[in-house]
Amino acid sequence: MSGTTEENVDSESPRSVRSEGNTILEVRDATVSFEMERGESRVLNGVDLSVERDEVLGIVGESGSGKSMLANALLDAVVDPGKTSGSVRYFPPDGRDPIDVLELNDDELRTFRWEEISIVFQGAMSSFNPTMKIRDHFAETIDAHDADPEECIERAYDLLSELYLDADRVLDSYPHELSGGMQQRTLIALSLILEPDVLVMDEPTAALDLLMQRSIISLLDRLQREYDLTLVFITHDLPLVAHLADRIAVMYAFELAEIGPAEEIITNAAHPYTRMLLGSTPNLDAPVDEMRVIEGSSPDPVAPPTGCRYHPRCPISRDICAESSPEFEDVSAEHQAACFFHEEASDAVTYPIGEDNDAIETEGSSTSSRDYGEPILSLDDVTVEFEGDQSILDLFDEPEYVRAVDDVSLDVHEDDVVALVGESGCGKTTLGKTIIGVHRPESGNVTYRGQDIWEARDSHREAEISFSEIRGALQMIHQDPGSSLNPNKRVIHSLRKPLKKSQPDLERVEQERRIMAMLEYVGMSPPEDYANRYPHQLSGGEKQRVALIRALLMNPDVILADEAISALDVSLRVEMMELLLDLQGRFNTSFVFISHDLSNARYLAEKADGRIAVMYLGEIVEIGTVEQIIHDPQHPYTQALRWATPDLNPRNESEESPIRAIDIPDPKDPPSGCRFHTRCPEAREICRQVHPTNISTNGSEVACFRADPDHDYWDSPSIVNEESDDDETSMSTLD
Amino acid sequence: MSNQNNPLELLETTDDVEPTTRSERWRVWIDLWILTPLQIMWKDRRTRYGSLIILLYFMVGTVGVRLVSPATQNEGPAYVQPFDFEYTHMVYGYEVWQFPLGTNGFGEDIFAQTIHATPAMLQMMLAGGVFTAFVGAVVGIVAGYKRGTTERILMTAADIQIAIPGLPLLIVLAMALQPRSPIVVGLILGITSWAGLARALHSQVLALRSESYVEASRLMGFGSFPIMRDDLIPNIMPFIMINFMNAAIGIIHLSVGLYFLGVLPFTTDNWGVMINFAYNHGALLSWAGLPWLLAPIFAISLLGYGITIFSQGMDRLFNPRVRARHATTMDDSDEPDPMQ
Ligand code: SF4
Ligand code: SF4
Repeated sequence: MSGTTEENVDSESPRSVRSEGNTILEVRDATVSFEMERGESRVLNGVDLSVERDEVLGIVGESGSGKSMLANALLDAVVDPGKTSGSVRYFPPDGRDPIDVLELNDDELRTFRWEEISIVFQGAMSSFNPTMKIRDHFAETIDAHDADPEECIERAYDLLSELYLDADRVLDSYPHELSGGMQQRTLIALSLILEPDVLVMDEPTAALDLLMQRSIISLLDRLQREYDLTLVFITHDLPLVAHLADRIAVMYAFELAEIGPAEEIITNAAHPYTRMLLGSTPNLDAPVDEMRVIEGSSPDPVAPPTGCRYHPRCPISRDICAESSPEFEDVSAEHQAACFFHEEASDAVTYPIGEDNDAIETEGSSTSSRDYGEPILSLDDVTVEFEGDQSILDLFDEPEYVRAVDDVSLDVHEDDVVALVGESGCGKTTLGKTIIGVHRPESGNVTYRGQDIWEARDSHREAEISFSEIRGALQMIHQDPGSSLNPNKRVIHSLRKPLKKSQPDLERVEQERRIMAMLEYVGMSPPEDYANRYPHQLSGGEKQRVALIRALLMNPDVILADEAISALDVSLRVEMMELLLDLQGRFNTSFVFISHDLSNARYLAEKADGRIAVMYLGEIVEIGTVEQIIHDPQHPYTQALRWATPDLNPRNESEESPIRAIDIPDPKDPPSGCRFHTRCPEAREICRQVHPTNISTNGSEVACFRADPDHDYWDSPSIVNEESDDDETSMSTLD
Repeated sequence: MSNQNNPLELLETTDDVEPTTRSERWRVWIDLWILTPLQIMWKDRRTRYGSLIILLYFMVGTVGVRLVSPATQNEGPAYVQPFDFEYTHMVYGYEVWQFPLGTNGFGEDIFAQTIHATPAMLQMMLAGGVFTAFVGAVVGIVAGYKRGTTERILMTAADIQIAIPGLPLLIVLAMALQPRSPIVVGLILGITSWAGLARALHSQVLALRSESYVEASRLMGFGSFPIMRDDLIPNIMPFIMINFMNAAIGIIHLSVGLYFLGVLPFTTDNWGVMINFAYNHGALLSWAGLPWLLAPIFAISLLGYGITIFSQGMDRLFNPRVRARHATTMDDSDEPDPMQ
């Protein structure tokens, strides 16, 4: 950081007041537009932004806020026929003249993109050529830039091992042979190979599991310091960047709404939108009752609202907001917000973060003594096997048998919520589908109100409760809103189907009346209009609601919600969960809620007085009330998940990573003894040999020796500091 | 108790929704399934001209044969050239050519022959196309959805069919059965083409059956048949229709080829038979015989062209996005506005 660029900045861009010669990227009036049939679609509108040298800038926005367009505009990488205008200037650290990124020709751009600024996109798989080994990807990049191959390969090795990858193995693999997390880390290494000064990351971890996300964030933090990188991290997930970023910029409706130091944004946001966003983000610290829903939806890029773009949804908007658009106003020296009334926002829109929450404990929910009565559904030592194509690791290998669910017992009661939490590949979806009788277990029983489901299915008539009755009583909402409805049928047709099953004698007029009532009830009005739409005319949230109505019209006892809200925007999640809870209370339906996100699971389970079950490699390792799982986790894996769940409280300093290996072991060949022993920070010799059984501790059940104070475990030697040769991704010193 | 449990009854009280009347439902139905498709067809150039050409053949095959009397031997001299004003007759008081396309070597009216071959050709085409599409679709869909033994048996059958070379099989069948009815000819010719369609559909259905909405239907307790009808077939219908049309063209070409080779028994007027006669009477060797050869070839080509462009524009017809945009009983505004 020499002061050599100072004169450039000062002489050529007097507007960047705060840059003090430290600006590395300066964006002025950046606008991206697409010509569409309906008119001009401005997907980025007049954004001004300066990125400081060596900072981590988090850019946060919901889907359709223009944040990815901003990332593309930074590198002049907007796809045709999009047009980028305004200016993006890059100030090289060595005092060369500033570069006008949007003026570069194709050749210059290519050099610029790898050597000065690199970008990492969300889906790593699509960034790799599937027919080329990783080593060739590196070689190709080095070649294209006439870099010194030896030096670069050496750096590749450094970077890869820095990211806890076995460099030799990774370089000699094809992309599909790596797991999603490995691919993403490899991509990060690749993007740094030519020593760029700036790394732009567009949702780099969105497709990954929490633990992997959090681990990558930790690694980035370290890389950033070690390599003097400037990081621009774009995400929809505010808590994720809260600790990583130095500054946070919030985007709404293709414009910047607010920018400031991370801590200030989190604890004392000035823009009403940011405050609403913070208040509606499920997280582990805030009391659930204080989370709320953002009304309305994001605007259309073709016809955005006049004046302040947030005014139709803003709780404190006044007439002037609809007439003129607010400029950035200083909240403090470093903190600006585009709102006329930002001073009033903090009183009008409250959110629980930043206030002292340490005292809040979930009062009155001492639920361990809750009387459940007879279970509706009960699983007894259930094991489910699959042909091994379920694993992401070896898509193209010979099928082998994988125990997706291993010896699980679980009860679901009336009016109950059970949240299944775990990393991908842990078998939570398989277990969920086994609970509702979709997958047939290899061994063990699934009983519905005392009737074995699969016996009922085999014996047809003799069963006490017929299979078709059981079938109707157990419904499901799928993960992907895009495929949850038949694209060729209108909403009314999709919703008539369950009624035909559950109430066959209902008259047509009556059917319609009920469907309309339900649509109205979930907030889709006017219902006649929605009923006649095709699925492509609905938003993701609306599709999920229709899917929910479809399940409810069967009048089921249990609904399995398989990651049903993960595909929705952060601000819509609480709304959807509220709807689930409302309907659950109203219709006495139990929910089995599958999620990879502990905060969502906690929100639902706590409000419904339910339980959380944590799964790891096919087993439930801990199950208990929210109180027990969130506030007093016993199992080391639950503790790790708890660590990985981003929280918003900036005072909670990120502690050391509690796991020893980032990557999840191959589910086809699970570790012996306790399956978690390869990653467990508390593992001892005995864990490698003996498989722990569930131990009850005041209401929760834990599959770990540590829960038993008299166990042999305590006399066994620790294996944590053993340098295992085969375990290349060991990371005992992460963070 | 059960009332309280039942979402349907619980919500009953909360509504004041106008039920749609029967006539309104009909209007929506007609709009959605008749007017909208017609509109979409008319909007796209390919489907517009394609359907006009197909309609023309249909009219010729039904009405045309009634207006033009069949050709008879020696109704004029041999090899009269097209549009020859020597030979005219009165139609509804107008003087027009007696032999618009001239006559062949037997003094028969080529125009009348071509026209009178149309019904048989259309029947053959339809029979063969329907057979191919139907068998192919049933085998492919059932195999893809049912899996297991059913799948294995059906797909093995399809594979065997694909493995047997088509033309020799057809020649053997044609020689053995000596079919005379055009419908039977169409069915026989369809035998070679269903297996390819079945294979292609099989893999499409495999992908579709794991879609969430198919699983949701299964969870509601719907059986295989309603799921195939509601969830699978509408989504692969464009593919089936396009294959149906291609199969229809294929049947015509095959039949013409086989008639030309003389493998199929000569029955009534037929474009293939016309070509065969024209060729064997040296139509290629003199200008005078050329119309005899060209008329049926042109008839075949135009029909093939019409069907091809129609099938190209066809997937739009099944696309819900396009349908929704054209339907008048449905739009995104809050006021559903009735047909204007
Ligand atoms: S300018 Fe007005 S509408 Fe916009 S955020 Fe501020 S108060 Fe709300
Ligand atoms: S049993 Fe051992 S390895 Fe397993 S979680 Fe407990 S301490 Fe860790």
